[in-house]
Amino acid sequence: MALINLTGIQPIDYTALADEAKPGEGETIAVPVAQLIEENADLFATAGSVGAIIGTETPFDALGDIVGKIDFAVIEFPAFGDGRGFSLAVRLRKDFGFKGEIRAVGPVIPDQALFLLRAGFDTVEASGERKAAFEAALERFPAFYQSDFGGQVSVAHTRHSAEGQRKAS
Amino acid sequence: MYAYDTFDHALVNARVAEFRDQVDRRMTGELTEEEFRPLRLMNGLYLQLHAYMLRVAIPYGTLSSVQMRKLAHVARRYDKGYGHFTTRQNIQYNWPKLSETPDILQELADVEMHAIQTSGNCIRNVTTDQFAGATADEVADPRPYAELIRQWSSFHPEFSFLPRKFKIAITGAQEDRAAVKWHDIGLVVKENKEGEIGFEVLAGGGMGRTPVIAKTMRDFLPVKDLLSYLEAMLRVYNEQGRRDNKYKARIKILVEAMGVEEYTRQVEEEWEKIRHIPIDVPDEEVARIKSFFAPPPLAVLSDEVAEVDDLAAKNFIFKSWLANNTGRHKVPGYVNATISLKPHGGIPGDASDEQMDLVADLADAFSQSEIRVSHEQNLILPHVARKDLPALWAKLDAAGLGTPNAGLLTDIIACPGLDYCSLANTRSIPIAQTITERFDDLKRLMDIGPLKIKISGCINSCGHHHAGHIGILGVDRKGTENYQLLLGGSGAEDASKAAILGPGFDEHGIVDAVEKVVAVYLGEREDGEEFLAAYRRLGPDVFKEAVYGSH
Ligand code: HEM
Ligand code: SF4
Repeated sequence: MALINLTGIQPIDYTALADEAKPGEGETIAVPVAQLIEENADLFATAGSVGAIIGTETPFDALGDIVGKIDFAVIEFPAFGDGRGFSLAVRLRKDFGFKGEIRAVGPVIPDQALFLLRAGFDTVEASGERKAAFEAALERFPAFYQSDFGGQVSVAHTRHSAEGQRKAS
Repeated sequence: MYAYDTFDHALVNARVAEFRDQVDRRMTGELTEEEFRPLRLMNGLYLQLHAYMLRVAIPYGTLSSVQMRKLAHVARRYDKGYGHFTTRQNIQYNWPKLSETPDILQELADVEMHAIQTSGNCIRNVTTDQFAGATADEVADPRPYAELIRQWSSFHPEFSFLPRKFKIAITGAQEDRAAVKWHDIGLVVKENKEGEIGFEVLAGGGMGRTPVIAKTMRDFLPVKDLLSYLEAMLRVYNEQGRRDNKYKARIKILVEAMGVEEYTRQVEEEWEKIRHIPIDVPDEEVARIKSFFAPPPLAVLSDEVAEVDDLAAKNFIFKSWLANNTGRHKVPGYVNATISLKPHGGIPGDASDEQMDLVADLADAFSQSEIRVSHEQNLILPHVARKDLPALWAKLDAAGLGTPNAGLLTDIIACPGLDYCSLANTRSIPIAQTITERFDDLKRLMDIGPLKIKISGCINSCGHHHAGHIGILGVDRKGTENYQLLLGGSGAEDASKAAILGPGFDEHGIVDAVEKVVAVYLGEREDGEEFLAAYRRLGPDVFKEAVYGSH
C-alpha cells in the first residue's frame, strides 16, 4: 500500500481500532462511524486523536454529532463507481466546515485523482504500483468548470477576472 | 453558435491526451479490458457485437458546416463511410479501430467537438429542441442554458459517478420537441408575469423496463438559480439513488419511491443552503454565453414567393416536402427545413460521408452555415429563406435526402438493435425498412397524417417505443425474435406511456399488425382527427379486435 498525498497535507498515521478493543492512552485511532455515534465518551477521553471510518452508505446527517470531535475522516469506497463517497467529502467540507484530513480507501482508480482532490479529499490509500499513475493523473487538467474544495476557481469566474482575460485572449 | 475560448480548448485537449494515454496503456497490456472499460465508457467508447462504437456529442444538437465536414471526414477516414445520428443528438460510428480513436478525438477537438460524457454514469449530453433559436413558438432560445449546463456538468468532481446515467433535456417552445417529460430532468423555459425568464423543473422521467413520465417539482425557477437547483437535485440523487440494482438506479425509481413531494422537499432544503453561494457562474458569464446565440441577422422577406407556389402546383413531391418538412421561423419569409434521414427502405438516422458533406455545403449556401440534429434522427437547416426552397430541395432530392416524410408514419425512430448492439433481443432496423417499404406511397402517407412509430430492440428503450404513437418492442421468445405492439404513447407536451396491445408477432406479423392498426384509424377517425387523438378517444379495443380478430 502507498499513500498518495493530493493536497500536501501532513498525513495522519493511525491504527484502525479492532472490534471491541479499547484505545491506548493518547493513541491515534480510526473507528467505524456507527461505533463513534453509539458510545464514544470513553473513546474520546482515552485516545489522543480519533478519526471516523465512514462507509459510503452513511447518511451525511449522521455525522453531525461527531464531526466536531474527530480530527480526520476515512471514507471507504466499496467500488470505485460508488460516487456517494464524493458527496460525503463535499458534505464534510461544505455542511460541517470540516478542516481535518479526509482520506479515501478502497478500490479508487488513478483516473479519479482529480475528482477526489476537488471533492475535498486530501489523501488516498492505493496499491504501490499505482502511485505513479495517481500522481500523473493529478497533473492532467489545467482548469475546471466548477469551483471546488481543492481551492480551484471555476473557469466561469476566471474568464471575467483581469488575469483570466489575459489568458483567454 | 458557442465558440470555444482558450479554456475550453485546453480542457478538451487535456481530455484527448488523457484518453490517448489510457488507450496506450490498454494497447501495451498495462490495463486489462476490465480496467479499461470504465475509462473508455467515460469517453463514449463502447464494445459492441462486431467492433468498438464511438459516440460523439453534438451539444444541444447544433452543428456548424465546418463541424459537419469533420464528421464526414471521420466517417470516411476512420469508419466505413457513414455515421448514425441518434435520438440523443449524438452521432455514432460503428467501426472505429481502438488504436485510432485518440486521433479521431483530436480531430474532433480541433473543431470544438468531443465525446465527453456520452456514456457512463454521469450527466450526459444535454438535449433540446432542434428548432431552438429559430422557431416561431418559442419563449426563449434554450441553448445558452444548455451550454451553461454542459460546462457545469463536464468533469464534475461530485457527479461523475452517479448511480446511473443522467439525462437532461430542455425546451424553450410550447410544443415539446425535446421529450423533456421522458428525461431524468426536464426543463421548460417560461416567462413569468414580471417578464422574467425561468424554468419549469420536472424530475424522474425515464424509459427502460419501468417507463415513467417526469413530474413537476417547481413551476418557475429563475435563471440565476438554475445551477444551484440542479446541484441540489443531483446531490440528493447521488446520495440516495439505489446502487444495488442497476435497473432500479435511475432517478425515476427514487422519485417514485420517495414521492415527488418528499424529493422536492429534500432538494429545496439543500438548495436553501447553497443558493446564496453563487454556484460558479457570474452574470457576466451568462451574458457571454448568451451573446453566442444572438439570432442571425435576417432581413424580413415576403412569405409569398411565386416560384415556390408554382413548383408546388406542378410537383406533388415538392408540395409534400413543403407541407411536412418545413416549419415556421421567427422571421417572416424564412423556414426551418428538415432533411429526412428516413428514406423508404433505408436505415433510420444513417448518413454517408458524401451526404454529410453535401449538407455542409447546403448549410453554407442556405442556412447561415448552421445545421441541427433532431432527437427524431433527422437533420435540419434552420433560417432558410422561402425563396431558396426550390433550389435547396432539388439538391437534396438528387442526393436521396429529399424524402418528404417528416412527422409521417415512415419517419421512424429505430435503435441499432441486433445488427450492432450486444444487448439486443431482436433487430430493429429491418423492421423499419419493411414498414417504410410497405407504406411507400406518398398520397397514402399524407392521408394518414402525423404518426410516430418508434422501435427498440430490447427493453432498454433506446428507440423510445414507450413514447411511440405506435411502439414496437423486440423481445426474445424462446430464442426467436418476437415483436410486441404498443399504442398510444407520446413524447410531446401531452406525454403518455404506450400500452401493449396483446401477444407479440414475428417480423412479418408485426408489419401486418401496424397496417391493420392504421386501417382502423382511417375507418374510425373524425374530421381532421390525428392518429393519437383517435386512439385516445377510441381506446384499445377496436384496435385489438382488428389485429387479433374476434373469437
Ligand atoms: C448500440 C449501443 C447501445 C447500447 C449498448 C445502449 C445501451 C442502453 C442501455 C443499457 C440503456 C438503459 C439504461 C437504463 O435504463 O438505465 C439505454 C437507454 C437509452 N438509450 Fe441506448 N444504447 C445504445 C445505443 C443507443 C442509440 C443508438 C440511441 C439513440 C438512437 C440510444 C438512446 C438511448 C436512450 C434515449 C435511452 C434512454 C431511455 C431511458 O430514458 O431510459 N441508445 N441504452
Ligand atoms: S434498445 Fe436495446 S437493442 Fe436497442 S440499442 Fe438499446 S440496448 Fe441495444
